[in-house]
Amino acid sequence: MNESPNKHAVIVGLFIFIGLAFLLAGILIVGDLRETFSRKMQVFSLFDDVGGLQGGNNIWLSGVKIGTVSNLNFFGKSQVEVTMNIERKAQKYIPKNAMVKISSDGLIGNKILVIYGGTENLPSVQDGDTLAVEKTFTSEDMIKTLQENNSNLLAITSDFKTLSHKLVSGEGTIGKLLNDSSIYVNINSATASLQIASVRAQQLVSSLVVFSSGLNKKGTLMNELTTDTVIFKSVKASIIQLQQMADTASLFVTNIKYAGSNPHSTIGVLLHDEEAGARMKETIKNLESSSRKLDEDLEAAQHNILLRGFFKKKAREANNISIDK
Amino acid sequence: MKKLKQRSINKEDSVISISGLYKSFGDLEVLKGIDFKLFKGENVAVLGKSGTGKSVLIKIIVGLLKPDRGEVVVLGHHVDQLESKELNALRIRIGFSFQNSALYDSMNVYQNLAFPLTMNRKNLNKKEVDEAVEEVLEAVGLTDKLKQMPSDLSGGQRKRIGIARTLILKPEIMLYDEPTSGLDPITSAEIIELINEVQQKYNTSSVIITHDLTCAKNSSNRLAMLLEGKFLKVGTFDEVFDTNDEQVKAFFDYNFIQ
Amino acid sequence: MRNKYTFSKGVDEYFSGIHKAYLFTALFFREAFKKPFHLREVINQCFEVGLKSLALISLTGFIVGIVFTKQSRPSLEDFGATSWLPSLIGIAIIKALGPLVTALICAGKVGSSIGAELGSMRVTEQIDAMEVSAINPFKYLVVTRVIATTLTIPVLALYCSFVALYGSYLNVHAEETSSMISFYQSAFKTISFLDITTSVVKTLVYGFTIGIVGCYKGYHATQGTRGVGKAANQAVVLAMFLIFIEEVIIVQIANWIR
Repeated sequence: MNESPNKHAVIVGLFIFIGLAFLLAGILIVGDLRETFSRKMQVFSLFDDVGGLQGGNNIWLSGVKIGTVSNLNFFGKSQVEVTMNIERKAQKYIPKNAMVKISSDGLIGNKILVIYGGTENLPSVQDGDTLAVEKTFTSEDMIKTLQENNSNLLAITSDFKTLSHKLVSGEGTIGKLLNDSSIYVNINSATASLQIASVRAQQLVSSLVVFSSGLNKKGTLMNELTTDTVIFKSVKASIIQLQQMADTASLFVTNIKYAGSNPHSTIGVLLHDEEAGARMKETIKNLESSSRKLDEDLEAAQHNILLRGFFKKKAREANNISIDK
Repeated sequence: MKKLKQRSINKEDSVISISGLYKSFGDLEVLKGIDFKLFKGENVAVLGKSGTGKSVLIKIIVGLLKPDRGEVVVLGHHVDQLESKELNALRIRIGFSFQNSALYDSMNVYQNLAFPLTMNRKNLNKKEVDEAVEEVLEAVGLTDKLKQMPSDLSGGQRKRIGIARTLILKPEIMLYDEPTSGLDPITSAEIIELINEVQQKYNTSSVIITHDLTCAKNSSNRLAMLLEGKFLKVGTFDEVFDTNDEQVKAFFDYNFIQ
Repeated sequence: MRNKYTFSKGVDEYFSGIHKAYLFTALFFREAFKKPFHLREVINQCFEVGLKSLALISLTGFIVGIVFTKQSRPSLEDFGATSWLPSLIGIAIIKALGPLVTALICAGKVGSSIGAELGSMRVTEQIDAMEVSAINPFKYLVVTRVIATTLTIPVLALYCSFVALYGSYLNVHAEETSSMISFYQSAFKTISFLDITTSVVKTLVYGFTIGIVGCYKGYHATQGTRGVGKAANQAVVLAMFLIFIEEVIIVQIANWIR
């Protein structure tokens, strides 16, 4: 007794099925009924990074939900165009230059779009307008900035470290000022060297006087040699230069000695004229090196082939004197 | 065994009148133009092989199935055109005994018998119901089974209770669907006896659907052979089987060989 | 040969099934508000539905409460928010789990038993027997059962929620040693009147679904005893499927109202 279904029942059943399917789909898709029937307008916004914003996320204005994100689309090369459905009744509270930012509605909550700011006297936003975006820091950005901050801080502290180190170790003008005892040390050592140099120079000069008197004796090798006027002239010139140098050195030493006897004046000069201080230091350095060179020159002169014999003789005489004694 | 009293039957007074009845299920045509009259006070046995639509016929009579075509007039009402209220009023006057008794499993014998009565006659008190139940149980001879559940009864007892349940509404027409199927010959004979008793006691007209020739012979005034959706022969037992028709002969032979 | 089917056999049967179900449901609403009301039978069925599922629902509700609390704790512990546990459980159980668990259990227990009972009544012709006894079987069997499930399942769901909350309380008490008063206070803190109303409406719908699906499948059972099993099975499957769809729809509608 298996009755095959008649056409009428099949068609009616089909229509009931379609009706139910539509009802079900309607209920499930429609979502918020009131929202569907409240009038909407569309506003756009361009973001570089939406940070996980999704269609359907809420839009807040002053903490009140005024719409939802309806769509996210890529725009241009790297931007995202966010389409917002905003209730008409909220329109008059959003000026044209209002800003949009992405926020979240709790510590671990959903992403939301927040509309804020704008100037009150500007006309309100219209359907299809684009709202400006304030770049908010994503956590990645924040870490990046923090990293930069760190490296900056590192550079600052290392600079400060060297600075303070230099200050302590007396480098730079301030360092020198703070530690000007070293100037005296330098000056003193320079003077000491100069004194040695001048003593030696005087010795040399006096020796040369003896030597030159010996040279005047005829028949000796030296005599023959020195009759070559060219050599003699040059030797004489160098001796004169040496004489002059020794004179200047002794003059300088006296000057320094004078200055050193009045330390207040030195500090005064250094304080009021930084250049002078630097130049002073330079001079002292030069003096030091030149006196050292002079010393070396004199040493070299002693070993000179031409003059070796004279010095040996002198040493022998000195020996003899000591033996005679 | 009580023999069925051959009464004079008034051929004018028909309780069931069927003409040009067609019924099909899908592509299967079961009844192909039945014309039949049941007169007041007579028992008619409808003979036929299984699956030839014997049960369908009485289900149409009682309004359980709707005919595709044809007229079915029962006690002066067109069954297929009745409103449910009128149909129910008509059904109270018809008793229907099902092939498998169809006793309510969840109720005991008393509740089974009292159920149709209490549902249809709201104003009865408990005593009247008890009396009515007692009466029909006496009629079927099972007064001691009052508190038993249908599942505790034997097949014959179930058949009796089933008949008792239809009798409690005092029907004018009884429709028996295979009253002896699944029963041993002795129990079958008892049921046939009961059918005859009922006919006399309650003065009913009956249609007895059966494939059992003995049952048909002993319980009916007339026979109807249902073959291939049509009544091949209608008449007394001798009239029907005094024939050269091959199919009727085959049916007859088959029953007696069995 | 004419084209027998509008689409194909399966599709035709599906759509005509929908049509039949629609007619069935429409008939329920037509019959439900007409006399007679069979109040005694409604009460019987309520008792049947409620009492049969009470033990199972107690146990299941209790276990659901404990297990859900146990499983939810670790994720709240991560935030150090185990004090939210009662309100979380309260929301989950009263708004969703209580009604749903009750509905699913009743779909299995009550739905299948209605499907099987009506199915067996159909195939053993008990429904036909009722009909020929001038009793409206739809009213007596279907309407009473559907009303019974519709009324009883909300009560069972409330009971189930309460038992589940008690189970949850035991677990919370064992772990956090909170008192019963503080547990119930925080459990009901976030529950609004609308939530409770939604739950009750939901369970009314579930109850109706279980009843009507069980009855529909049983009432239209065919093919003998095999059909009974099929009816019971399909009643459960279809009822559970519909319950989930209804859950979604009702939650959605409740969100509109909120």
